[in-house]
Amino acid sequence: MSHTSMTAAPDKAESSFFARLLKRQEMALFLCLVLVIAFFSFTAENFLSVRNMTNVFGQASLALTAGIGCAIVFISGEVDISIGALLATIALPLILIMNGTESLVLGIGGALLFGLIIGIVNGYLTAYAGINSLIVTLGMMFILRGGVYLYTGQRAIPDDAALDSFIALSDGRLFGVIPYSAIIAFGLLLIFAYMMQHRPFGRQIYAVGGNPEVARLAGYDVRRVKFTCFIISSLLATVAGIILAARVGSAQHTAGLNFEFQVVAATVLGGVSLAGGIGSLTGMALGVLILQFLSNGLRGLGLPTEWQLVITGIIIIAAVAFDEAKRRRAIGG
Amino acid sequence: MKQLKSVLFASAALTLAALPAQAQNMPKRIGYVTNYATHEWYQNVIKGMQARAKELGIQFEVQDANLDIAKQVAAAEDFMAKGVDVLIVTPVNEEGVVPLLRQAKSNDTPVVLEGNPVKGMTTMVAICDYDTGYFSGVEAGKYAKEKLGGTAKVMNVGLPLLSATVLRSQGFMDGLKTIVPEAVMVHDLDGGGNPDRALEVSAAALAKNADINIIYGINDSSSLGGLQAWKAAGKSQDALLTVGTGGEGLAFINAMEKEPSYRIEAAMFPEKEGYTAIDAAVKLFNGEEVPEHIVSPTAPMIGEDWKKFYDYDASTRSIKWDAVNALKAPEKCMKTAADLK
Amino acid sequence: MSEIVHPSPARRLAGGRLLGSSQLVLAVILAALCIAISLAAPQFYSEANVIAILRQCALVLIVASGMTMLIITAEVDLSVGASLAFVGCIGMAVLNATHSLTLGILASLAFAGGVGLVNGLVVTRLKVNSLIGTIGMMMMLQGGVYLFTREAVQNHHQLSSFTGLGAGYVGPIPMPVIFAAAIFIIAYVTLRFTTLGRYLYAVGANEKAVRLSGLRSERLKLLAFVVTGLCVGIAGMILASLMNAGQPTAGRGFELTVIAAVILGGTSLLGGRGSLFGTLLGVLVLKVIDNGIIILGWNQDLQMVVPGVVIILASYLDIVRNKANVR
Repeated sequence: MSHTSMTAAPDKAESSFFARLLKRQEMALFLCLVLVIAFFSFTAENFLSVRNMTNVFGQASLALTAGIGCAIVFISGEVDISIGALLATIALPLILIMNGTESLVLGIGGALLFGLIIGIVNGYLTAYAGINSLIVTLGMMFILRGGVYLYTGQRAIPDDAALDSFIALSDGRLFGVIPYSAIIAFGLLLIFAYMMQHRPFGRQIYAVGGNPEVARLAGYDVRRVKFTCFIISSLLATVAGIILAARVGSAQHTAGLNFEFQVVAATVLGGVSLAGGIGSLTGMALGVLILQFLSNGLRGLGLPTEWQLVITGIIIIAAVAFDEAKRRRAIGG
Repeated sequence: MKQLKSVLFASAALTLAALPAQAQNMPKRIGYVTNYATHEWYQNVIKGMQARAKELGIQFEVQDANLDIAKQVAAAEDFMAKGVDVLIVTPVNEEGVVPLLRQAKSNDTPVVLEGNPVKGMTTMVAICDYDTGYFSGVEAGKYAKEKLGGTAKVMNVGLPLLSATVLRSQGFMDGLKTIVPEAVMVHDLDGGGNPDRALEVSAAALAKNADINIIYGINDSSSLGGLQAWKAAGKSQDALLTVGTGGEGLAFINAMEKEPSYRIEAAMFPEKEGYTAIDAAVKLFNGEEVPEHIVSPTAPMIGEDWKKFYDYDASTRSIKWDAVNALKAPEKCMKTAADLK
Repeated sequence: MSEIVHPSPARRLAGGRLLGSSQLVLAVILAALCIAISLAAPQFYSEANVIAILRQCALVLIVASGMTMLIITAEVDLSVGASLAFVGCIGMAVLNATHSLTLGILASLAFAGGVGLVNGLVVTRLKVNSLIGTIGMMMMLQGGVYLFTREAVQNHHQLSSFTGLGAGYVGPIPMPVIFAAAIFIIAYVTLRFTTLGRYLYAVGANEKAVRLSGLRSERLKLLAFVVTGLCVGIAGMILASLMNAGQPTAGRGFELTVIAAVILGGTSLLGGRGSLFGTLLGVLVLKVIDNGIIILGWNQDLQMVVPGVVIILASYLDIVRNKANVR
């Protein structure tokens, strides 16, 4: 992988070239999204209705929120595949604390604390102990998933407290239209996109992922940056887990199974490279929306699961291949 | 006199049953969110639903949650946005669809559940899992007494994930003990409900306890996985009994024809369950009173019994509706998920 | 990717000792596990159980042998689990239709090899990252198998030669173990003693340098994908034989077990480093844990937790040992 030519290095000319390239890439993704929506609005019944559109945004909130963390970790040059299992795990402190104390704040606090600890462990083992992040987070995935199974005895734990504020996370809609979960997801997206593009820490993440040697020479603490990225990822997966727990009204031991595959696919589809240093949160968000509208539209057409799987698989490969071809041409030209 | 009375009563009952059927308004469309459409059990549930919906002239659509609770909620939301008249749902998980029921309620969409009960539900169509296990356990006990010298050492290829499957295993042991009181469950395994996992865990269990002589599976994949592990260990099936549950697809027919130890199958007639669920959906649409649990019948099939209920032409099976519709379902289950807690 | 160790002749000699550093850690873990489980439950080392463990290992080892080569070239294949199920269905269906075991095996090999070829082309020609490309393939195969058959493909002819693939024995040794041993040895010799093996390491270690030196690195990667596919073809037929049917639902999570075993064995996901002997140890450790938990009658949910801990722990110990060696 040719890192050096692609990183948002401190070099001014290069970063503006990079920004231009990114813009083009996002434009292509946006067109792709429009195309998907246009196609289904003609073919799938009821696709364009406000109700269906807002539903999709609510459904996308999970992958969108977790996708921010996934993209940031990718950009820092690492991977985190423990997020799906974490989604299921943090529902335990959340629901148990809410059932015990009838307090949403305490429940969310407990969940975030748990997510923080997992982020610290992932980050420490990767950044400081130097273990490959795929191995760390694969191991963590087994530990968390198995831990949830063990603790719950494979029984879901119901939300007995049924606090109105918690239910609102699932059913509530701003002005009766836009789901709160979508507002949370897009709010977080705005905040983190701003951080990635306009704050020094964002630049550090791009530099660390693009070329750790150069980043070190530039005086960045590579380990600390990566460590922080894992914490961000775990905390965002925790938020996604809270939304999911509200949507299913319980702590589910099988929640988020294969979720990491969905998020990784959407992130890469959105132009975020696994090699580090390349991509944007806007691209990731477009990737998530494309896949969400696609699966909603395919459901709307009444296609059986097997066709949905086959078509999604083809589109992921085709989109990434197309993106790669475009990128190589851009570099070549 | 008595006869006349009963005839009168029967014809009155018939008219009563027939009248509302004619007066009923039919829902235009029914949406079904299934748990796992690629599984044979659900495919046959869907077949039964399609058959009944076609008979009644209802537009019927299926969405698959593919074992993903988040996807189940999304699919149900899609259906409600489309404006289906009644929703049928097989919960991926009993607790996980509570918010979905809440949403349906605020949307005035009636919901029929299939398979698993949920807090706050209107009605559910399901078999009695405990009873299903129990009666196949009784048959297994008789077989053990006759052919296995009265001993019963059971390997349960179970699935602790669902209360339904836990109940089946419990029912089997309780039924078995009514005939062979000293029967024991030597191994209580989690076979994941799928054949390769069942094969793997059973291999280890059989290696540990060579004296196992009954394999019980909570579904056909589990019992077959257990039996394949037995065969792979190079053991003869002479002093073995394999008991399957479900009768969900073709696998059990094949096994009953070809495997000497596969003698008992607790049939659950998925087609019938789907058929009944559509009827329940129509009743809900018309605002009729329905019981909380509509029981769908099950029956242990021994040896060749399956031919009474199914035609099989080497590639597909078709249900014999007359035989299955003649089966009587109990009013109430001996034990339900509520008794597990 | 800068931390790659180049397979200089000196290193290859060092690696030539039977146990490299990571393998030593793993061998100790394996021995400790076996002793501990045997003390707690003597049935563990009964003949029946040892055979059961070996048979379980065989399926994983067959695919892991190919996967080790592939990961050494710095690529990965997540579609092997989905392919395993599909292959079994196709092999069974062809066997049913033709009454010929040979044709059944050929069909399954052709299919699985074809899947490997497509994976390889997507990665080398279309330049799609292999993690993503093979996730896409996984989805297509998971969907595709249900388009092919909605129900398990039953074994109509009950050919004894087919049943023998999975459940047969040669003397006291189960057939799958013999297949696995043969494939393992071929892969081992290829990686250790042939030019091809050296090239595979070289491609993973530094793709650019290899391309400059005139080697067709893409061909080599393609080859590794196809070999992995063929291994899945063999494993899929054995599994179908063991289950006496082609099961579209089989193979769930199989890819993770295989990859976990390979990386547990010390093969680097960055490519260029790793050994088949480590993979063998990795497979044994994972399957002994799986088996031990059942033999001990522990809660089966530990079958997920314990491997997770072991994977992280083994990688960590390996790093600690390397650091100690440097000092």
